[in-house]
Amino acid sequence: MKKILITLLMALGFIAGAHANSGGIAWDKAPDRTNDLAALQNGAKLFANYCLNCHSAAFMRFNRLKDIGLTEQQIKDNLLFTNAKVGDTMKAAIDPKQAKDWFGANPPDLTVIARSRSAQGQGTGADYLYTYLRTYFVDDTKPTGWDNLAFPSVGMPHALWELQGKRVPVYETVTEHGHEAHVFKGWEQLTPGTMTAEQYDQAVGDLVSYMQWMSEPVKNTRIRVGFGVMVFLLFMTFIAWRLNAAYWKDVK
Amino acid sequence: MSASLVDIQPSDPSKRTWLIASSCAGAVGVGAVAVPFISSFEPSERAKAAGAAVEVDISGIKPGEKLTVEWRGKPVWILRRTPEQLATLPKNDAELADPQSKRKPDEFTPVYARNEARSIKPEYFVAVGICTHLGCSPSDKFQSGPQPSLPNDWQGGFFCPCHGSTFDFAGRVFKNKPAPDNLEVPPHMYLSDSKLLIGEDKKA
Amino acid sequence: MADFKEISPNASATAKLTNWFENRLPTAFDMYKVHMSEYYAPKNFNFWYVFGSLAMLVLVIQIVTGIFLVMHYKPDAALAFGSVEYIMRDVPWGWLIRYMHSTGASAFFVVVYLHMFRGLLYGSYRKPRELVWIFGCAIFLCLMGEAFMGYLLPWGQMSYWGAQVIVNLFTAVPFVGPDLALLIRGDYVVGDATLNRFFSFHVIAVPLVLLGLVVAHLMALHDVGSNNPDGIEIKATKDDKGIPLDGIPFHPYYSVHDIFAVCVFLMVFSAVIFFAPEFGGYFLEYNNFIPADPLKTPLHIAPVWYFTPYYSMLRAITSEMVLVLIACVVGAAGFSVIKFKLPAILKAVIVGGAVVVVAMMLSIDAKFWGVVAMGGAVVILFFLPWLDKCPVKSIRYRPSWHKYLYGVFVIIFVILAYLGTQPPTPVGERLSQAGTLFYFGFFLLMPWWSRIGKAKPVPTRVNFTAH
Repeated sequence: MKKILITLLMALGFIAGAHANSGGIAWDKAPDRTNDLAALQNGAKLFANYCLNCHSAAFMRFNRLKDIGLTEQQIKDNLLFTNAKVGDTMKAAIDPKQAKDWFGANPPDLTVIARSRSAQGQGTGADYLYTYLRTYFVDDTKPTGWDNLAFPSVGMPHALWELQGKRVPVYETVTEHGHEAHVFKGWEQLTPGTMTAEQYDQAVGDLVSYMQWMSEPVKNTRIRVGFGVMVFLLFMTFIAWRLNAAYWKDVK
Repeated sequence: MSASLVDIQPSDPSKRTWLIASSCAGAVGVGAVAVPFISSFEPSERAKAAGAAVEVDISGIKPGEKLTVEWRGKPVWILRRTPEQLATLPKNDAELADPQSKRKPDEFTPVYARNEARSIKPEYFVAVGICTHLGCSPSDKFQSGPQPSLPNDWQGGFFCPCHGSTFDFAGRVFKNKPAPDNLEVPPHMYLSDSKLLIGEDKKA
Repeated sequence: MADFKEISPNASATAKLTNWFENRLPTAFDMYKVHMSEYYAPKNFNFWYVFGSLAMLVLVIQIVTGIFLVMHYKPDAALAFGSVEYIMRDVPWGWLIRYMHSTGASAFFVVVYLHMFRGLLYGSYRKPRELVWIFGCAIFLCLMGEAFMGYLLPWGQMSYWGAQVIVNLFTAVPFVGPDLALLIRGDYVVGDATLNRFFSFHVIAVPLVLLGLVVAHLMALHDVGSNNPDGIEIKATKDDKGIPLDGIPFHPYYSVHDIFAVCVFLMVFSAVIFFAPEFGGYFLEYNNFIPADPLKTPLHIAPVWYFTPYYSMLRAITSEMVLVLIACVVGAAGFSVIKFKLPAILKAVIVGGAVVVVAMMLSIDAKFWGVVAMGGAVVILFFLPWLDKCPVKSIRYRPSWHKYLYGVFVIIFVILAYLGTQPPTPVGERLSQAGTLFYFGFFLLMPWWSRIGKAKPVPTRVNFTAH
């Protein structure tokens, strides 16, 4: 009996382990700055400047940014570029048909991308985005001139290349389990960007935290209300318990 | 075990205590749960955004011309009154139901419109183009003199085709007509000489 | 007004009002007596007995949150996904109503699976409660349909492709398959037509059926009286007033007991809603945050967790497995013909039937048999009252080894569920096949194994310690 159980459990373990990463490297852990208003505001600025040209965030209203500490005037001055009003949703600057012509596919909407890209066993959507935006490299064989370690053969060019600069990955041949493997070792910077590596990582961390916040702006409220609800329910459960006991003491 | 436990008030004090405690806590709980559900009836962010104030460029309106814009799904008129049209206003006073706009001022006439011309600038008349009777949109009747459905001494104004209510160039309703009130002047403010903001009268 | 109950003019206003209603709607007062204050339930219910009331609570939660969601949701392929995000962001407290509904769907299955397992443990499906069990199985079937159709409504990638796959299963039915699938979809692929009709079924048709079945389920139960963890019939020992000695009125004893259970449940329910509404991608699947794209299938489609045990069984039936099943059919037919003393005509029917079944299994695709297995796994539950031949109802008095068998059944069911969430692998396939065989063997061989071993003596009065 025990042997059967152990075998079954071991089999489960093998299955879980054998489920490796299908294409793309393992994801780095994204910093969680969703409670840092300054970081979120910086992320919002980067998002509006670099992403909204091609991508939309069609379910995100500009005036919701008041939740991360911006005033309506600040939103109007810094983040509204087209004829959009502050109560409008974030539409892409590009026409979807044109985008399809240029990139082969319509750039997906980014409102909830941080939720959709999570994968069990690999990490959260934010982890994926943080890794993705930091693993672009130059590749002349690709139509956009760029490729990406987290999303091989991606159709999107490196939107942040001016900040990060141009680089290529360096591989090392390693003998593993009796056969040779191409292992990623590091980066070789070809031309510099306007930011150092640390500054770039910091900026991407802010941008990804913003995208994480944008995918569920109500998250902090949800948790706050949750605490209140749990406290009340604890109290209510105690009362219900004593009420139950008051009646059941009569049952012999 | 006896079956006669239909008493709502138990004689046992411990039961009574906990029943009262649970009822109170339960009532609070039910009330707390009701709040989000009832609140979900309120206008959503989308509705509020759609109902946001509208900026209008009035530099192109010629004297005697009327521009209609939409605010919160309603037509809002911006009439650039000529001096002749303005002159008709005091002549109507005796025939009007509420010449001083004293009826329900909070609903129909904001503070800055409580004057003869019912406007901030006499030249520009801003009003919601919906008859205060049952909601039709009155037609323009700027031509003075006798016309069908209008009195012989008609000075000019608006005529509602649905039930015949008439209004003057300040949107004031005439006596003995179905409409009880003057036309609503919406909250509005001038951002500049050429820009009018309809829907707000305090800078956010 | 001959049958009116008179009341003294000096009585209180409340008493007079009650009397006014009692004279005009005495049924309401009778119902209260029959189902609450004079419904005598066994006093030894343990925590396994709360899940029925909790299921009713979750049904109410789903209906109420559903009503409020429908105020803002748009059942149109172009607008549906956006309308859900509209609810999450623009509708005041919409996010809470949405999370309550999505968590409620999973909670419904948790509660119902535990409720069914209680039935298994204590023999609640046995005579005279077979009909209670059958209504319950019908509720389970409707619940699965309701959940499946509800899942299409957000119109995400998982919604779309899950529906596409499951509706395409119907194409496996011989002869009528493709037409049947076309009829269900209302179009050549899952689309706007499908969405609208699933919306209609999910919002009104199936909930009405569910409510009717729940009423029937409770009426059938109350007519015969509840079972209990000891599996003994409390109506066998009554006092001189005709009240079971081991019975206590449902109200107030089980009303206050259920209130407590509800509070504990609400704590767990709220913890999920407020702190982990996605629940690791099991309650709100990650892929469903991508709008449906008919041209692009996600790498990994899996049904929602509560369908996965049956999904595993569906996937387990490969053409190889069909051969194994043929061997089982042949073996079962051969065994019954040789071992049992049956009239010759019946033996001929069995052999003939086996030949027909084997011929069908050889000629029809494994895909169809997968659907049969998946459906059969649920349908077999209906037959449980007639499969169980143990002289004793409750696990407490069955031979001890039955406990381990039930434990293994649970473990295998959970393993099947887990395997259903994962992409297919060779090891996974073998495990699912073994699990499927065990699942069906557990039920189909029950008439035999439930008779093995020595049952413990069953007491005449329930086991109860005052508390």
